[in-house]
Amino acid sequence: MAAPRRLFYRSETRFLLLGLPGVMFVVFFLLFPIVSVIVFSFWRTESYEIYADWNLDNYRTVLFEGTYLTFLWRSIVTAVVVTAACLVYAWPVAYFIAKYGGRYRLLLVLALAAPFFTGAVLRLSALQAIMGPIGVINMALGMFGLPAVEFLMFNKFASGIGIAYLYLPFMVTAIYLSLLNFNFQLLNVAKVNGARPWRAFLTVTWPLNWIGTAIGITLVFIPCLAESLTPTFLGGPSGKLYGSVLGLQFDQTGTWALGSAMGVLLFAVCCVVIAVMWWTIDLRRTGFTGAGR
Amino acid sequence: MTNVAVGLQGLTKRFGRTVAVDRVTLEIDQGEFFSLLGPSGSGKTTLLRIIAGLEDPDEGRIVIDGKDVTGLPPYARKVGMVFQDFLLFPHMTVGENILFPLRMQGAPRAERDERLGWIVKLLHIDGLEERFPHQLSGGQQQRVALARGLISRPALLLLDEPLANLDRELRKEMEVEVRRYQRELGIPFVYVTHNQEEALTMSDRIAVMRVGRFEQVAPKFEVYSDPATAFVASFVGHANRMRGRVAALEGGRATIDWDGARFAVPAPGGAGVGAAVDVFVKCERLTVLPSGSAAPAGANRLDGVLRDVIFKGQIADYIVARPSGVEIVVSEAASLPRAKAGDTVLITWAPDTGHGFPAEGA
Repeated sequence: MAAPRRLFYRSETRFLLLGLPGVMFVVFFLLFPIVSVIVFSFWRTESYEIYADWNLDNYRTVLFEGTYLTFLWRSIVTAVVVTAACLVYAWPVAYFIAKYGGRYRLLLVLALAAPFFTGAVLRLSALQAIMGPIGVINMALGMFGLPAVEFLMFNKFASGIGIAYLYLPFMVTAIYLSLLNFNFQLLNVAKVNGARPWRAFLTVTWPLNWIGTAIGITLVFIPCLAESLTPTFLGGPSGKLYGSVLGLQFDQTGTWALGSAMGVLLFAVCCVVIAVMWWTIDLRRTGFTGAGR
Repeated sequence: MTNVAVGLQGLTKRFGRTVAVDRVTLEIDQGEFFSLLGPSGSGKTTLLRIIAGLEDPDEGRIVIDGKDVTGLPPYARKVGMVFQDFLLFPHMTVGENILFPLRMQGAPRAERDERLGWIVKLLHIDGLEERFPHQLSGGQQQRVALARGLISRPALLLLDEPLANLDRELRKEMEVEVRRYQRELGIPFVYVTHNQEEALTMSDRIAVMRVGRFEQVAPKFEVYSDPATAFVASFVGHANRMRGRVAALEGGRATIDWDGARFAVPAPGGAGVGAAVDVFVKCERLTVLPSGSAAPAGANRLDGVLRDVIFKGQIADYIVARPSGVEIVVSEAASLPRAKAGDTVLITWAPDTGHGFPAEGA
């Protein structure tokens, strides 16, 4: 038999070397912050100092003092509406690119991601410059002597458009990547076998691309829940979301413990969302065939 | 009702400047097994897709069961189709795959169950209903695809090279079975293939296609033994092509000058004395004898040197080189067991076999 292999070539060594970066990432950037946030949420802050007095006051405040839950609820509703809008908008876009994009596919997907070449703040300012009181739309209306449209200014609707604009590319990309692996021939099979186009979509295209779609939904829904930047720019007083209030605890009022409790609650909601999405995925029903035949 | 299951009238399909299907007219009878045979790019798959409704023809009409379906979408045509790569729905079980057409038609549950039971028995796939396609072998997947195409008893079943992805043994077996299902159900099959053996094994009639047109449409035996064009003669079966000149014409027979020798064949239509002709003689119509043997009276004779014997089991291919270096292949039962490379031999065949056509591009 072969001589004992050197340390580096042993399979256990390689296993560890390969696994290490991932483990370190999870420990330092996921577990560590989450654990500290959970710990902080049971402590107390006073005059910009944090004290390790274990108590439940922060949760009492978040759960029973009306405003916080109202903001959370508003965030959830916003996330649902924005995700649904992104879903409806992204499907045809992704479908078109995957089916008819040909050799320009990659270019088209990159074009969708082009706004990412600048920062989020810049992009939101641009939106403000389009929808705001002295923005392009209202200036144009004014030139024709028409009254300015108010529903585009500093309210929930404006901030919804802003958030959808920020996260739409994630949804399109997730669905597009799924459609890349979809065999469009199956639609011909469905049609020859008596399926009208809409029926073919529902019985073949949708279930076979559900994993990609679910990833898209999750990628949009979760950051929507925590969104704080967009409402600041576009939301006005009525458009304030949970994320904005959460941010305040850290950068303005210095109530980190309360902020941490809000964060833990948000984290819990996200876990529920992910659990629900996971529950909808039946691998056998998505055409997933495992590693091999 | 007439006996015509499918009528195609002047179908033409262009893709840009190429004409994929060129004024095709055809009638297929009820209960007929009809094959479209041709090399890749001959337009046979396009023609099939036009019949299915997956492509729109630029000109012409399609009539299925007496009804003009030319402008109708595929789901309104009552045809079944079996595809080359099976194309089962990966997220559905075998049972759901097979039942898909009935589900789309909204057939009642009792009927679905009854039909499913019937078709899985017929195709020997009972017991697999709960499996998913990726858990099946290639042959099983092909049967499921067939079952899906047949379960709704379509007016017509279209098959696009359905056996091309199966290994040789299985393909042979399935050829016989597919033919049997077609007989039992009496549904007309239109079968696209580039494999002449498949077409010859299964079909009633064969259309040989080339660059969008039919070269010959005839019962399979006729296509094999009496090719209408040089293309059919070279594409169906294995034939030696000999390009020569007509030296004489007499009583329906032509004497051909070829490679320094002379032989007789039935007179090629449209070729006068001196014209260049391509003569095709099927390999198995030739006989190879030891040099100096007595050939039957009146038979054509060619000399040569045996260059190689390719033993294939039932038959052997004898490759005979003429003095000029041109080779002729003779397929025969291995009747010259001791023949070896380098022996001088005599090739003979009857003058009424073989087909001549005016040489193309000469």
